[in-house]
Amino acid sequence: MSAAEVTFCKVRKAFGNAVAVRELDLAIGAGEFVSLLGPSGCGKTTSLRMLAGLEFPTSGTISIGGRVVNDVAPGKRDVAMVFQSYALYPHMTVGENIAYPLKKQGMARGEREAQVKRIAAMLKLEALLDRKPRQLSGGQQQRVALGRALVRSPKVFLLDEPLSNLDAKLRAHMRAELIELHRQLGRTFVYVTHDQLEAMTMSDRIAVMEGGELRQFAPPREVYDRPANLFVASFIGTPPMNIVHGEFNGRVFRHPAITVPFQVAGAPTRVALGVRPEDVLLGAGPFRATVRVVEPTGHETIVMLEAEGAALTARAPAESHLRPGEIVPFALRADRLHLFDATTELRLEARATEEISA
Amino acid sequence: MKPATNPLDRRDAWLGVMLIAPSVLIFCAVIVYPLVSAIYLSLFSIYTPTLQGNFVGLSNYAELLAGGEFWHSLANTLIWTVCTLTLQVVLGIAAALMLHQAIIFRSLARSLILFPYFVSTVVAVLVWRWLFNDLYGILNHLMIWAGLLNMPLDWLGSMPNAMVSIVLVGAWKYFPFVVIAVLARLQTIPDNLYEAATIDGAGAWGRFWDVTLPQLKDVLLVVVLLRAIWDFKEFDLIYLMTGGGPLIATQTLPLMVYKEAFGMDAMGRATAVAVAMMFVMLVFMLLYLRQAKQDAAK
Amino acid sequence: MRRVLFNLMAWTIVLVTAFPLLWMVLTSIKPQFELFRMPPTFWPEQITFEHYARLLWETPFLTYMRNSLVLSFSTTVLVVAVATLGAHSLVRFRYPGRERLAQLVLFTYLLPSVVLILPLYLLMVWLGIANSLLSLVIAYTSFALPYALWLLRSFMQGIPDDLESAALVDGATRMEAFVDVILPQALPGIISTCLFTFILSWNEYLYALVLVNTDEARPLTTGVMSMLVSAFNIEWSLLMAASVMMSVPLIIIFAFLQKYLTRGFGAGGVKG
Repeated sequence: MSAAEVTFCKVRKAFGNAVAVRELDLAIGAGEFVSLLGPSGCGKTTSLRMLAGLEFPTSGTISIGGRVVNDVAPGKRDVAMVFQSYALYPHMTVGENIAYPLKKQGMARGEREAQVKRIAAMLKLEALLDRKPRQLSGGQQQRVALGRALVRSPKVFLLDEPLSNLDAKLRAHMRAELIELHRQLGRTFVYVTHDQLEAMTMSDRIAVMEGGELRQFAPPREVYDRPANLFVASFIGTPPMNIVHGEFNGRVFRHPAITVPFQVAGAPTRVALGVRPEDVLLGAGPFRATVRVVEPTGHETIVMLEAEGAALTARAPAESHLRPGEIVPFALRADRLHLFDATTELRLEARATEEISA
Repeated sequence: MKPATNPLDRRDAWLGVMLIAPSVLIFCAVIVYPLVSAIYLSLFSIYTPTLQGNFVGLSNYAELLAGGEFWHSLANTLIWTVCTLTLQVVLGIAAALMLHQAIIFRSLARSLILFPYFVSTVVAVLVWRWLFNDLYGILNHLMIWAGLLNMPLDWLGSMPNAMVSIVLVGAWKYFPFVVIAVLARLQTIPDNLYEAATIDGAGAWGRFWDVTLPQLKDVLLVVVLLRAIWDFKEFDLIYLMTGGGPLIATQTLPLMVYKEAFGMDAMGRATAVAVAMMFVMLVFMLLYLRQAKQDAAK
Repeated sequence: MRRVLFNLMAWTIVLVTAFPLLWMVLTSIKPQFELFRMPPTFWPEQITFEHYARLLWETPFLTYMRNSLVLSFSTTVLVVAVATLGAHSLVRFRYPGRERLAQLVLFTYLLPSVVLILPLYLLMVWLGIANSLLSLVIAYTSFALPYALWLLRSFMQGIPDDLESAALVDGATRMEAFVDVILPQALPGIISTCLFTFILSWNEYLYALVLVNTDEARPLTTGVMSMLVSAFNIEWSLLMAASVMMSVPLIIIFAFLQKYLTRGFGAGGVKG
């Protein structure tokens, strides 16, 4: 047994009249760590539950390891799932919880116990095996849930926001542990989250979803550096990317406060310029903006600006001494600008033609 | 809902249907069939001992609505329901507020208050009839001793005493229901609401009116609707206390059904009364169903 | 000082509420002649259990008791078994008509017995099982089943969906998930429902009055009332002894299982 690839082919899921997932095409490689990322209601959890066999697609096919699993019961798909609520069986001890999947496979008691011991040692749960879930802390419950998923060595691991009920410190720790676990096991991980930090740090590739549709499927770096559309651009990154709507005449992007020459083929007139906060360079440059709010965070300062009706956010060094009301000059890093078609919201493959310094 | 297309989905739905099937079968046998049958029977004139009858159409209903007894019984039912329900709610809220405070042996006090609700109506009635006994009953003795009466009172055999008696016993028997529901709700009212009200200068009464009552509104609505439905159809308590007497002075609709069927041997007319009564109750029932739906949506 | 006054007042109210039941017990252990003393005694001057002895050996009380036990146990087992499956289906399965069914359950839960009783009576006569405990078990399901279904449904709605999902992913079939995960979780709710169904059946009067008129099949409720009617001279101490005996199961439940009663109230109100 080893890792398996996972494929969604034109998968659609409707609950009555409400469409949760529409025409999802997604090919996840064997052994890959993929995050399904999006705001709540975007269809990511429904997709995961369809993969687990807990929901059935209205149309389309789902396959695991080349086998179409639409008609396969959840327990026979060779997947394991970690739930947001952990879903530990409250009336069973930790040991019984971890052993449950093995029991359902018909494994003999002795072998079951050996397997449970192995997993408990791996997750440092040995001392807790005889406790009931309610006697455990949140972090311990989470490890038991992981243990129950690991014990069968399934081909695919499904994780539904497993870290969202932990406090921030433990969450950071568990992120590292999950990355390590994935490396050790080499199995396919499908990880649902609404936390972009989790998705960015752990995934090989991120599937960004919105309104039941896949918006972009790419490695974290690419999702950040080359967002495929306005939604991904503004969803990924904190603070989010600045979006400035303006006009394009074939050569120059124009907004009352900002003009940027671009080289692009067949661009429409109505476009949107995207600039990450770290690419707004305060202190010198051809443009002017009024400082509205200054938020020092410690290691840097977030500055909110307004330029002729456009709201901009900039990252500035911690020691900058800007005050609200002040007018500052600024420049934009030309090699890091994004241009989008304002109507279709899709990314335009454009390059700013010159450094914008004058 | 469209039929499931996925074989697994379909198998699951099939299993679900199999699991509910025994319930549905029993429902059909002991509820749906009798209900339909009741409406059907109410169109016949049936002699109870022989169960022979002939079709008379709506004339059972016509007789009913034209005669005075139905209206008299309906009025009795309403008087009984409104009076006993009011007492239940007032006593229930008061007792719940009391039990919510820290009193000594609170759980024992709670058990003692709840007990009347769970005790059989037969037991409750026997005990009260003994208490109400005109010659040897403790109630008459106590009241004479206290100077409230100068001769024993006939509690159950004359009006309006009989109605007052059943209303009192009804209140005693059923107010614990209100207590439990209100008590459960009281325990979920956050303390900071009271703290805020105290800071705003509200006294004990102010806190009750402005914090407690509004918080209790929803649960009281449900309790009142449920109890109204159950009091309206109460048979055991009234039948066993007074038998509807003196004459028919405390005869409510459920008692009239029983009397028509087994006293007057007019099974058809009895079912007509039952069906008519159900339609009156339907108002409360629909109100309750609507409320339950709203609560479920929350 | 205010505390003491409040406690005093509260306990006065509690004792007034409980007085009829206390009086029942006191009356049952007084000798007959003491009942008719003027003025009446409060505490018995002489404690006697002669009424209990007479009740058990000289009246059909034990037959009634046995009937009530058989009747209440059978009804409870039948209704709770059927309703547990049904409630699980209503809560965790999707099929056409499920919502309507849940509404119907609530509706029947409120339906007055007097509407159903006459057709049920005719049905029992027609089936030839009138005057038997079986006819009562069947009739009792008409109020106990909707009630148990409704109560169990609210209990089961409180069990997180994820638990069943987890069991399915772990390799259980739906029935296995029901047995391994849902049933143990629903157990306190099932116990509550059993207790309520039992009490409801134990206390039922109207069906027993209409459907049964022989001592062989009479439960306690109608049996004890028939003792009141048949006696030429009403023997109150005997009736009070019967009332106390009739309340024994309730007292046991109250003493040992009260938390399940409270839980039942929380889940879905209670039948009147």
